[in-house]
Amino acid sequence: MSALDLKDVRKVYGDGDQKVVALDNVSLSVADNEMLFIMGPSGSGKTTLLTVAGGLLQATSGSVVVGGTDISGFDGRELAAFRRDRIGFVFQAVNLVPFLTARENLLLVRQFGGGKIDTDARDRADSLLTDLGLADRAGNLPSQLSGGQQQRVAIGRALMNEPPLVLVDEPTSSLDSELGQQVMELLTKEIKSRGLAAVVVTHDDRILDFADRIVQIVDGKLTSDSSDNSSASPSGR
Amino acid sequence: MSIALKELWRQPQRFLPVWVALTLLVVLLVILAGFLDGLSRSQTGPYRAYDGDVFVLSDDANLQVQRSRVSADALTDQGLDDVADVGFLDAAFTVAAVEGTATGNTSSDNSDDGTNLQDVALYGYSMSSSVLPHAPDAGEVVVDKQLTRQIDVEVGDRLVLGPSAEPMTVAAIVDDLSAGAPTLWVNGDEWRRLVGTINPALLPPSGQHLALIAQPGADIKASTVVEQVDQIDGLEAADVADMIGALSVVQQQNATFTAIIGVTFVVSLLVVALFFALITLEQTRLYAVFKALGATTRELLTGISVQAVVLTLIALAVGMAISAVLVAALPPTLPVRVLPTRLLEVAVGLLVTSVIGGLLTARRLLRIDPASSIG
Ligand SMILES: Nc1ncnc2c1ncn2[C@@H]1O[C@H](COP(=O)(O)OP(=O)(O)O)[C@@H](O)[C@H]1O
Ligand SMILES: [Mg+2]
Repeated sequence: MSALDLKDVRKVYGDGDQKVVALDNVSLSVADNEMLFIMGPSGSGKTTLLTVAGGLLQATSGSVVVGGTDISGFDGRELAAFRRDRIGFVFQAVNLVPFLTARENLLLVRQFGGGKIDTDARDRADSLLTDLGLADRAGNLPSQLSGGQQQRVAIGRALMNEPPLVLVDEPTSSLDSELGQQVMELLTKEIKSRGLAAVVVTHDDRILDFADRIVQIVDGKLTSDSSDNSSASPSGR
Repeated sequence: MSIALKELWRQPQRFLPVWVALTLLVVLLVILAGFLDGLSRSQTGPYRAYDGDVFVLSDDANLQVQRSRVSADALTDQGLDDVADVGFLDAAFTVAAVEGTATGNTSSDNSDDGTNLQDVALYGYSMSSSVLPHAPDAGEVVVDKQLTRQIDVEVGDRLVLGPSAEPMTVAAIVDDLSAGAPTLWVNGDEWRRLVGTINPALLPPSGQHLALIAQPGADIKASTVVEQVDQIDGLEAADVADMIGALSVVQQQNATFTAIIGVTFVVSLLVVALFFALITLEQTRLYAVFKALGATTRELLTGISVQAVVLTLIALAVGMAISAVLVAALPPTLPVRVLPTRLLEVAVGLLVTSVIGGLLTARRLLRIDPASSIG
């Protein structure tokens, strides 16, 4: 069973003259424990692909199967529960909650869907923060953290609910080269050590070494036979 | 949801405008309600003096005491076993002053007239009640507290009544029994004598009163006596609440203040609804992120309701404290009366109003697309 299976997925925005085909019969499979990178120019449909795979939007047609569950027919409430339990999002814009501390930003995702913050959740948040080198920053608000630290909190939040699939949108777009490398190293370590699958969207070719496999997307179509970094984990640097 | 409360504690400045507005609205509501109850109370003292008793008027009087004429023995020999005692009530308006201060008969002293001569309602009565003592002797008068707020008068002082300045000694001071003016209470004979000097035209024919008052026997409900008296030809009876309700001045005041209070609640609703609509607009991105992370619209709505309730509770506490200070600072002659039940109504009303105001963001929240958190 693969972590993500897209079959003939089309996503069309608008209709009539305004019609935009953002995903054009995309079929894609991401194995468990695989880190897939999607590269493509701006407007090619990368974000749309993440949106559909993560249950933020329903595909116009085709099937989206995540960890064996077909989410194509889910309603809004089912999708919300699905996103909470099965998907970890790392947003391009980081999107931390400004009035919550680093630790509370992690615990946040436990509270939705009527969840409670128990000792288990607290322990997990603390160990994630420690893994991410943020143990001494747990009580800081996002505004008191650097860009790289904020991105690391966002990674911790994505991993908080132990999702089998992590979706990452342009993780290094707001970081300089060195910080970008550090964040990618951490992200890869966290994902690999937990045996998770990840889809990383980027147009930053300095981080392609972290990919297990790279897929190109142009005008909503995946180009076949993408390059394959067969090594399971990147060489540390 | 504790996220909503954390937002409130950590970013209080964002909620300050609506909190200030709500606090001011609480003050306004408490003062308005205070006037509603105070004004009504200031018109109804003689009825409240006979709380629990039954007023008996002529059936053409429409429950207006001034229009009623009842024979003094209208209730005797009627076989009203449920009536323990019967008294009467007569009323007329006149003026009064502390003896020696009213020099109103020369034109040069006109200014003194205005300050020392008080409009008063003069009542003749026979039956004591929980508020009224036994009817005083000839030459004596019972005054209500409202008069002592307007002029300096104590038990034993002498008042002069009416245009001919009839001297009367203050025998007792009772609780506020205002009837649009302070009230003076004398026995039935004295009332006839005094009104004879004030305006003989106001005197009912001998052997008649404006109203009778029937006191129900032990364990008898006022409504039972009302029903029995209504059977008697030419008479109409009402309990105190119905007598007060029939006062057109009370009806008008209630209608006016209820309307103003209603408008104030509508304003509160708009304030809360607009504020949270703005907050939602401002935080569309954040709410989209919440949704992307698994929050439902209902959870977001619960968060906003919690914020509305907490803001309103704090506004109520502070607003009521401010109102208490304000009311204490008002001159005692102003008819403001703050009743605990009314405060509870204001509190419950405002809480309901703000929750509704918060819930009006539902459509906006529903339309927030979780996909807009990404890209
Ligand atoms: N909400 C939307 N409504 C209409 N068109 C959209 C919307 N989102 C994206 N598009 C269009 O779909 C195409 C793919 O966009 P996107 O997935 O954001 O590309 P990328 O992330 O690769 O830049 C673009 O042409 C874009 O204009
Ligand atoms: Mg994009």
